[in-house]
Amino acid sequence: MAVGIEALQSLEAPPWLGAEGLTRCRQALGGKLVRETWKYSPLPKVTDALIDANVHQEPPDLALPPGTALHRFDKLDAPPRFGIDLNRYPLAGIVAARAGACWLIEVKRTPSRPLRLAAPGGRINAPLLVQVAPECRVDIEQEAAETADTAGFGALVLVLSLAADSEAHWATAELAPMVDQWSLLQAHLHGNAALTLNHQGAVANFRRQDINVVLDGQGARLSSVGAALICDGGRLDQQLVIEHASGGTVSRIKQHNLAAGRSRCTFNGRIHIHAGAVGADADLSNRNLALDPSAEVNTKPELEIYNDDVRCAHGATVGQLDAEALFYLLSRGLDPQQAQRLLSLGFLRDGLAGPFAERAATAFAAHFKGD
Amino acid sequence: MSLLDIDGLHASVNGEPILKDLSLRVEAGEIHAIMGPNGSGKSTLANVLAGRPGYEVTAGQVSFDGIGLAGVEPEARAQAGLFLAFQYPVEIPGVSNMEFLKAAWDSHRAAQGSQPESAVGFMKRARALAKGLGLNPEFLKRGVNEGFSGGEKKRNEILQLLLLEPKLAVLDETDSGLDIDALQTVAAGVNRFRSADNGVLLITHYQRLLNHIVPDRVHVLTEGRIVASGDKHLAEKLEAEGYAWLSG
Repeated sequence: MAVGIEALQSLEAPPWLGAEGLTRCRQALGGKLVRETWKYSPLPKVTDALIDANVHQEPPDLALPPGTALHRFDKLDAPPRFGIDLNRYPLAGIVAARAGACWLIEVKRTPSRPLRLAAPGGRINAPLLVQVAPECRVDIEQEAAETADTAGFGALVLVLSLAADSEAHWATAELAPMVDQWSLLQAHLHGNAALTLNHQGAVANFRRQDINVVLDGQGARLSSVGAALICDGGRLDQQLVIEHASGGTVSRIKQHNLAAGRSRCTFNGRIHIHAGAVGADADLSNRNLALDPSAEVNTKPELEIYNDDVRCAHGATVGQLDAEALFYLLSRGLDPQQAQRLLSLGFLRDGLAGPFAERAATAFAAHFKGD
Repeated sequence: MSLLDIDGLHASVNGEPILKDLSLRVEAGEIHAIMGPNGSGKSTLANVLAGRPGYEVTAGQVSFDGIGLAGVEPEARAQAGLFLAFQYPVEIPGVSNMEFLKAAWDSHRAAQGSQPESAVGFMKRARALAKGLGLNPEFLKRGVNEGFSGGEKKRNEILQLLLLEPKLAVLDETDSGLDIDALQTVAAGVNRFRSADNGVLLITHYQRLLNHIVPDRVHVLTEGRIVASGDKHLAEKLEAEGYAWLSG
């Protein structure tokens, strides 16, 4: 059993999670599945941090736009299903137990402006469930600026439930590289629902991102484009599980990670095509740039396919700056340092999209100027 | 002093000798065309001049504008005014064409001890030149050569040539992959560049480009050395008769 689990004995589970749910989390933390997915991250350290971290029980810092409603999930007479597989993501149960609260945002009609969530910062945030009604669209924006509170450990659990023909766009900019953080996005998409994800961030300490998207309805679509700069001494661990549970579902994943100095970057992206998901179409690309010989990059794109009529592609690259591109820039008079900086920045920018793309590009540029 | 003076040049790639005792002089104000069959060493010559890593000079000397190029880094050659238009320009997603061009121009100015040109003035100049080359100025916002057609990439090379105003332009098969309209546009760009102060080394397979850019000298490169030189009529003879007569 992992260190830290003993400390979980004293936790009290919220009623909607139940003692049984919390027990399941404790058991799962010592199980093979979790041990494997946490191979490159210090699970005991994270569980200890979750026990010690400050808790933010208040509703998410947002002024809700018309068309949405906020509920304290754990006080509802008949709370909806939380929708997280606790055997796979037991830390979600720990966060819920520590937070002692959970919030539900209902999107009943398309809001005129984005939902703006506070960045996790150095605290545990009460889990948030966002339910999007049929044919509605919602933009969720979450940004941590470099001036954010960097003390302690931050945790965030976001659950998205997209009804048929709905759309959601979740964009994050985590540009406070000193924050230690664990986050989980669990998304469940029904027929023809569409989810767009844009994550961009800089990591100087520890960041672990778990993403689980279930495409559970004919024609559901996921598009994810992200970029991360892992600074000297930083550790980034991204674990994606994309499940094509229905036919005609589409997923597109593009992730660019740049490891600088003595950093470590891990990407594990698994596409799971369920039996019966006829005509599923998946494409996963993870490109990594190791700027320094002491940088470590681990990447594992996986396909798990249980029917014949699918289109799947995946690719992962780990490399250094392209010698041809470097010579091209040198041949135009740029000095080697400037050329390397421009190529590094270009690599990251190629993984930027969404409302924070420009801000992230500026932050990345500032990093390289400071080198 | 010649603009370019190549004397007894031998060069290897991956240990294989490609250029064998090649000598050539280009004076300011001249355009020299280098022709030759596949594998004769034309592109190797271009890359050696630009200082591409992996292209090793094993004997002989090259001086550019009076300075020996041995041991001179590619960026220093470029800053000194030597420009290579690539046969296969590289795509660099994420780096906008305009940003790249400005960085290149600033580095040239810095090498000459000048302050960077204002972004506004530079962008205006770049847009006007792009338009003159039939390149939609919107291309300047896109990644360097990203998603450009073959012709657009070559036009982009000529745009860089006109912006950077080098002393010597080495054009490595700039005409390959161009349709007739693009060929004429690119040729017009080179003719616009041409002046009494600079020189052009034009590497090509085909005489058709020389209908639009009239060379002062034409050289035939075979097996790493120049085997024939002449005026523009030599190119016409090559077009009509091929290279076989040279080895006969």
